[in-house]
Amino acid sequence: MSKAVDHTVSPAVAEEELLRAQVYALLARLLARAPDAAFLTVLSELVGEGGDFGAALDQLADAARGSDPAAVEEEFTTLFIGVGGSERTPYGSFYLTGFLNEKPLAELRADMARLGIARADGVTEPEDHIAALCEMMAGLIAGEFAPEEGGTAGLDAQRAFFDRHIGSWAGRFFADLETSPSARFYRAVGAVGRSFLAVEARAFDLAA
Amino acid sequence: MTRNAVKATDEAAKQNTDIQGTDAQSTEKGLARRDLFRVAGLGVGALGAVAAGVTATSGTAEAAPAETTSTGYRETDHVRKVYEVSRF
Repeated sequence: MSKAVDHTVSPAVAEEELLRAQVYALLARLLARAPDAAFLTVLSELVGEGGDFGAALDQLADAARGSDPAAVEEEFTTLFIGVGGSERTPYGSFYLTGFLNEKPLAELRADMARLGIARADGVTEPEDHIAALCEMMAGLIAGEFAPEEGGTAGLDAQRAFFDRHIGSWAGRFFADLETSPSARFYRAVGAVGRSFLAVEARAFDLAA
Repeated sequence: MTRNAVKATDEAAKQNTDIQGTDAQSTEKGLARRDLFRVAGLGVGALGAVAAGVTATSGTAEAAPAETTSTGYRETDHVRKVYEVSRF
């Protein structure tokens, strides 16, 4: 990706905002399903550019280089799907209340409706899954949804959504993922998520 | 594009090309914010490999509503770029 790509476009979405959307999209992709061989190859080419987040990207690239797709698939199942209880339960409601489908999910659904976001057809998982929430952030940043109040979701709206539905618990989830007994590849995903959310929280503070 | 778990509501076709972010760009706060991302390692080089991404299919993906206007933001390059990386 190069800056040249943007030269015909109004500078409406700044480059760093686009990068945020990409990180959210990356996290969403990794938490929705295990990466296949081709995607692991792409991930192995990541190069961090400093900071905790950069170090986490390097860790992810290392993990991708040393991972067999079948093993990562099995790890994903053990961590998130596992028969008789998965190791991690990546839902906001669970982290915030100890139970699935509680009030935080109802609040999320109300905010989704307000922001012009719907659950995809055929999806039965509750919307407060971490992958779905990361997709929502990516879409909000890219201006993909049409909020009721018109326009697109600016930083204020993004921050409100983040604080209420992600910042309140997902940092703990990613930290848990980093220390999950069965996690190998996904330890690095946890590091990327935890460090990125920390940057996001600080950045929202700066913009306030 | 296809997403995994969510989609824009059906009435989400939009007229405006005025995407958020301009406020952040034009203020000192925006600059501080930009610096933070740079210092934090959130750089173009770091994510270049991912931006080049690979496509993958998803059993649960839902196409976003097809309706767009000629001036719609969906047609702009920067949004297309996000779409590319969101597909992986």
